[in-house]
Amino acid sequence: MAIRSSQEAEVMLNGFKNPGRVVLIGGNSEIGRAIVEHLPPLQSREVISTSRTGDYALDVTNRAAREACISALFDEADVDLVILAVGVLGNDSHLDAADNLLNAIEVNYTATAHFLTLITERMKKQSHGQILVISSFAQVRPRPDNFGYGSTKAGIDFFARGLASTLKGTGVSIKILRPGFVTSKMTAGMDKAPFSISAEECGKYGAKALQSGKLITWAPSLLKYVALIFKSLPPAIFSKISSR
Amino acid sequence: MPTTSPTQFSGWGNNFHSLAHLFSAGSADDLQNFVKSIHSSRGALPVGLHRSYGDSALNSGGILIELSALNSIEIDPATGIAVVGAGVTISALERAALKHSLFPPVVPGTGFVTMGGAIAADIHGKSHHKTGTFSACVRRIRLLLSSGSIVDYTPNDVEFWATVGGLGLTGIVVEVEIQLRPVQSNSADVTEHRVKNLGQMIELLSSADSDFEHTVAWIDLSGDYRGRGVVSLGNYGTKWVKAKESDSKGPTLPSILGKNFITPLSVRAFNELWIRKPLKQGSVALGAYMHPLDGINEWNNIYGREGFLQYQFVIDIGKEEIFERLFAGLRSLKAASFLGVLKKFGAQSASHLSFPRGGWTLTLDYSTSVPGLEKFLSEFDEELVAAGGRIYLIKDSRVSPALIGQMYPELDKWREVRNSMDPHNVWQSDQARRLKLC
Repeated sequence: MAIRSSQEAEVMLNGFKNPGRVVLIGGNSEIGRAIVEHLPPLQSREVISTSRTGDYALDVTNRAAREACISALFDEADVDLVILAVGVLGNDSHLDAADNLLNAIEVNYTATAHFLTLITERMKKQSHGQILVISSFAQVRPRPDNFGYGSTKAGIDFFARGLASTLKGTGVSIKILRPGFVTSKMTAGMDKAPFSISAEECGKYGAKALQSGKLITWAPSLLKYVALIFKSLPPAIFSKISSR
Repeated sequence: MPTTSPTQFSGWGNNFHSLAHLFSAGSADDLQNFVKSIHSSRGALPVGLHRSYGDSALNSGGILIELSALNSIEIDPATGIAVVGAGVTISALERAALKHSLFPPVVPGTGFVTMGGAIAADIHGKSHHKTGTFSACVRRIRLLLSSGSIVDYTPNDVEFWATVGGLGLTGIVVEVEIQLRPVQSNSADVTEHRVKNLGQMIELLSSADSDFEHTVAWIDLSGDYRGRGVVSLGNYGTKWVKAKESDSKGPTLPSILGKNFITPLSVRAFNELWIRKPLKQGSVALGAYMHPLDGINEWNNIYGREGFLQYQFVIDIGKEEIFERLFAGLRSLKAASFLGVLKKFGAQSASHLSFPRGGWTLTLDYSTSVPGLEKFLSEFDEELVAAGGRIYLIKDSRVSPALIGQMYPELDKWREVRNSMDPHNVWQSDQARRLKLC
């Protein structure tokens, strides 16, 4: 695993438009780590991962901790890329339904939206930077089994698109990755959905999203069309399909 | 005092862009007042014509200060001393000097470089083996420090040598005093020779050193990468010839749909023609001889929207085997360069960060879209450093900061002098941040 901190690292985008200083928020996310792995290689890249036990220890549900984290990282040096990969499914068997829901809202929406705001403000000051937000196919249309999670992803997707629309001419950009079912620790024990991919493959799509001029990248790409079909199905048919 | 709203800038390589606020100084007084008022945490940077290839003259989120209004040229014909404003271009100084049968002893491959830029990069030209870098003909610089005070430095001052080659990070050069050299005419007597390979090129450049004031070779780095090319040798001439009277523009190369026209095939075709072109023999106008690329404006558009980078390095005499390794690597990448230039340097200057030093310097242009180029150049950098070589920072946009200290062993001394000249870190650039120079 190439995630490491290095004392001598490139700080700015280099002449190949390759990010030098990268922050992964959600350092335990398999998708996040895979995206970092698939960035174009750069010998002296500095990657700082934040998690409860990462390079930078962080409790993402704590507002003051989020603010301190972003201040500290940007005060130290310019950041070229932030990958926002914190997320929970809201199905922790140790918690009751209400706690699971509140936790998902807190992590997937509140913390992520707050991070997005904090990071864009700092990136605007440095006049450059990219942010990758991990959304989900689940935000396309509510389904009986995951509408709570889906609603948090719909919220953050909506927020990121709105924020992206305000960034023209600032040198800062936001990209949104919308994966379908990704086989990982987070989804262990769950039934695989159609079009599922591994975290490794999802990482490739994430790295591609950063190179692309488009706001939204689906993983896999075919999901773009599946989403169109999902949205256009009459409720009766959709409910039959989604309850299977 | 007003700066522009964030405006996009890029280096000559066009390979990436950066937003900054621009301040155009109307006069030296204006400039002094403005510098005293700078409070941006992203700092400021004096810039010239953005002919540096990478991010040396970029300062994203900060201020760029342009000095074209500082355009005075005063020449004392008796002593050959010129007192020149920072915004004056090399071409303009050449034309003014020629009216008195004088010429700047050191001029680079383009005349579109300002005095400030020439100091910041400690530029060199075809005469380096005889004259050294630009600083060798500079008697005094007048510098505006971040404190707002204006100080004159001469080659007896350490601040002079930190500023020369100091990438604009020590202060704003306001004025330069230059010792011009006498010439008998506005022409160069030029002779060109075709060579079949790198060995012949090195031999000819080495043997021509003592007899010629100007030596340089165009090297064909395409096809079989043997290093065939044309060696150009020149001395100041005696014949007056017709020459351009101003910086009036020649043809401009348009950007066609942002497309890159530099491919292995097009380079090979171009180089096949170029190697066969009639060799120059005789009198050539000094301007045209010194600045061959200035005939076509915005030639960098040929690389399209993705842009390009220039890679220039120097390696000691006796370490020429590194060229073979470089050529083999470039051949395997199918990376073809249509602007390969080889030159033998003379001794290095006393500047901390000046690039030239005794040895061979090779310059190559590459589209940044060549697959595998970034990785290859990173690996080659390591070999270069192991062999005692270094790259030219004013061309750079990609080197690893971990190697800079080895390439420039005086870096820490430079930092010490720079910090004493700019304790609050007002002067900043994207390159300085990327390479952690300051």
